[in-house]
Amino acid sequence: MGYLLGIMTLICCNIIVVIGLSLLTGFTGIFSFGHAAYMAIGAYSAAILTTKLGVPFVLALIVAVMIAALAGRLIGIPTLKLVGDYFAIAMLGLGETVRLLLDNGGKLTGGARGFGNIPGKTAFPIAFVIMVFSVIVMRNIIGSRYGRCFLAIREDELAAECCGIDTYGLKKTSLTISAAFGGLGGALFAHYITYIQPIMFDMAKSTEIAAAVVFGGLGSLSGSIIASIILIGIPEVLRPLYQWRLVFYGLLLVGTIVLRPQGLMGGREFTIQGLKNAAQWVQEKIPGRGKGEKR
Amino acid sequence: MSILKIEGLTKVFGGLTAVSNLNISIPQGRIYGLIGPNGAGKTTVFNMITGIYQPTRGIVEAEGKSLAGLKPNQIAQAGVARTFQNLRLFKKLTALENIIIAGQYNTKYNLVTAVLQNRAFKEEEKRLRQEALQLLDLVGLSEYAEYKASNLPYGHQRRLEIARALALKPKILLLDEPAAGMNPEESLALMGFIRDIKDKFGLTILLIEHHMEIVMGICEHIVVLNFGVEIAHGSPEEIQNNSEVITAYLGEVEKDDAAS
Amino acid sequence: MIKFIQQLINGTSIGFVYALIAIGYSLIYSILSFSNFAHSTFIIAGAYTGFFLLTAVSLPLPFSLLGAIVGGILIAVFAEKVAYRPIRERGNPTLYFIIASMGMSIFGENIVIATIGPKFRSYPPILSVTAYQIGGISISVLDIMAAVVGSIFLLMLMYVVNKTRQGMAIRAAAFDLETVGLMGVNTNQLISLVFLVAGALAGLAGFFLGMKYTVFPQLGNLTMKAYVAAVFGGLGSLPGAVIGSVFLGIIETIIAGYFSSTLRDIFVFALLILVLLVRPSGLMGAKREDKV
Ligand SMILES: Nc1ncnc2c1ncn2[C@@H]1O[C@H](COP(=O)(O)OP(=O)(O)OP(=O)(O)O)[C@@H](O)[C@H]1O
Ligand SMILES: [Mg+2]
Repeated sequence: MGYLLGIMTLICCNIIVVIGLSLLTGFTGIFSFGHAAYMAIGAYSAAILTTKLGVPFVLALIVAVMIAALAGRLIGIPTLKLVGDYFAIAMLGLGETVRLLLDNGGKLTGGARGFGNIPGKTAFPIAFVIMVFSVIVMRNIIGSRYGRCFLAIREDELAAECCGIDTYGLKKTSLTISAAFGGLGGALFAHYITYIQPIMFDMAKSTEIAAAVVFGGLGSLSGSIIASIILIGIPEVLRPLYQWRLVFYGLLLVGTIVLRPQGLMGGREFTIQGLKNAAQWVQEKIPGRGKGEKR
Repeated sequence: MSILKIEGLTKVFGGLTAVSNLNISIPQGRIYGLIGPNGAGKTTVFNMITGIYQPTRGIVEAEGKSLAGLKPNQIAQAGVARTFQNLRLFKKLTALENIIIAGQYNTKYNLVTAVLQNRAFKEEEKRLRQEALQLLDLVGLSEYAEYKASNLPYGHQRRLEIARALALKPKILLLDEPAAGMNPEESLALMGFIRDIKDKFGLTILLIEHHMEIVMGICEHIVVLNFGVEIAHGSPEEIQNNSEVITAYLGEVEKDDAAS
Repeated sequence: MIKFIQQLINGTSIGFVYALIAIGYSLIYSILSFSNFAHSTFIIAGAYTGFFLLTAVSLPLPFSLLGAIVGGILIAVFAEKVAYRPIRERGNPTLYFIIASMGMSIFGENIVIATIGPKFRSYPPILSVTAYQIGGISISVLDIMAAVVGSIFLLMLMYVVNKTRQGMAIRAAAFDLETVGLMGVNTNQLISLVFLVAGALAGLAGFFLGMKYTVFPQLGNLTMKAYVAAVFGGLGSLPGAVIGSVFLGIIETIIAGYFSSTLRDIFVFALLILVLLVRPSGLMGAKREDKV
């Protein structure tokens, strides 16, 4: 039971990070392959605050989110002027740079050996409530004019600009929000696992986050959530196949984009109405029942 | 007083002068035409007016204010809206969303209220939606409100793009080949439509078009470009009888024929 | 001074290997307008093919080198056919290419780790040990070979691109792929050709990298540097890619020699960001406003 609860807590932390990237990639059309960096920034900031400075957990979470958001903002100022690929390259570089900095952070970060003795404050109920809260916040953002601006930028940046949208400014907003969610997920993660190492936030982690977003379907929040549960949950259960994990993620990224670019949810959202429609569809397919047979 | 003024406008790409020393001055409430053979530099003029290209030289003024150094979004907000030669709708979004996006630039709520979804937020959203629906109704697309833009018939997509530009509540509307790909009937309907919106919204329009019957039918004044240079301007009748224009359009062969 | 000249030579030699990667990367970028992150996979394909031909099959060096090139080509053409073509035919945005190429690069690296193993493997010491000594400066035969073979391939490519029909089609496609297709050129074939060339150069680079250092699954990550070089020289400009690569090779070797190798890697990225900010089209690339 404790084991299962642990995985579920982990999934909650990751969902927050994944929906953060989902906003940037799925809704704004900006790909980042270094998103674990923001998670790392949140994790280390919060851990240093609670462990070294004795700051209360909730306050540490808030500050960590602010630090991650600020980092995203600052990084966005130069890099979001770049076209898509260059931004992706810059984010790759960022991911590596943040890891290098943490590796060489001396006493403050514990270097490559890691940072331990973090209070285990992230119990499952806490993680779950914060996750649900995050999802609601994200849903509201996406449903507002901000969300529509992000979508417009994803669809056609130039046309968006000509519709009066300050695309550069809004891309910065998107990255800032995205980084904040990454930071929150990271901070919660640190206080669940109680021991963090730079290598936990390496390229493999960034890949995992990106794979969840793509697999869930670009532009689908619920898809991102479901994909996080699948992608984070399965490897935990299948530990022996651990070294094949990245092979699988790589394949999943290419496979989804090539075979089913709309991903798991096809850019749609998971709703009760959708569920009813699906049920009806299934009923119609079953011979001898439902409307399908009545001609 | 002219509402849109272009003076000495020039654009050089590498060695190619796409637009050279162009002057156009459009009084409030008029429809002007910009014509010329393929590659004459017409779209480039639009791109300079809307801030997508930086002019090499020259000035653009809207309502007496210079647009120099403004970003495209600022120019759009300043009342200059445009459509594109190759439709640039937000394809995966619905017709309604396409319109709302252009109509929301001066929305009065911020990120925090958006997250909290307070009264102000809900009212603004309601207003945006209603305005967009009204606009869709006006262009005759209300039944397509929830269709994805890419699923609309081609002619309707053109209309939707114009409606999207109108959502910006512009004073000046730039239309880049709105009738491209339309049959004569559709073009005729479009002509009426352009006149309509001009009157309803008090617009001043600059129109690029290859369909001569449209240009001649609705434009009060026409500017002809060839290789980036203005070769003629005047009323439709004047343009139709201008030998240089005929030459530019029909090429040397016809001129020889005419001479013999 | 001797140390400096030595570093200049080492830097030039590694610069040539970067150039082989950068050119292919730049070619693909100029045609399809996206950064082919899967280039790293082409490199490891070449490096491991060369390694197995030299060790397990004990083929002589020239044949192994040829094998490495074929290895690079096969993977490159395969990647294009299986992944990029469907994306292209659906007319999906650049974002999809970037994601697919990232996925391939991760797949490539990790399938090697999972099957062949994460170990570093050394090529048999055929060339790397022999070196000429000139006045305290040593030049290894390998470096000379990399420079000579590399130059031959680059010159051949320049000839093809500038003088042949296919080359002209490639240059035209770089300007506007769609129009070239409308004019009757088979764009699928043309793109396959570009991937073939890029794969061959990457395979060759992989072979040299394997000889110079060792082979290991992350070898492809060096592509990052070639990207930087290509961007530095101006994407889409072939001479720019060569000059950028040699320049980067030299600067990098000097920094590693006088300071540290951690600093070297940070420097490479800092340089990239700087170049992109100051001159997004690179140093040699033509300044270009996207056509609307
Ligand atoms: N971004 C650019 N970079 C380089 N050349 C350009 C660019 N945009 C336009 N041109 C060139 O400028 C010239 C004018 O192009 P423009 O698109 O303005 O023509 P047009 O009059 O709109 O033609 P059409 O009727 O075919 O739309 C063409 O030769 C074109 O190739
Ligand atoms: Mg045009």
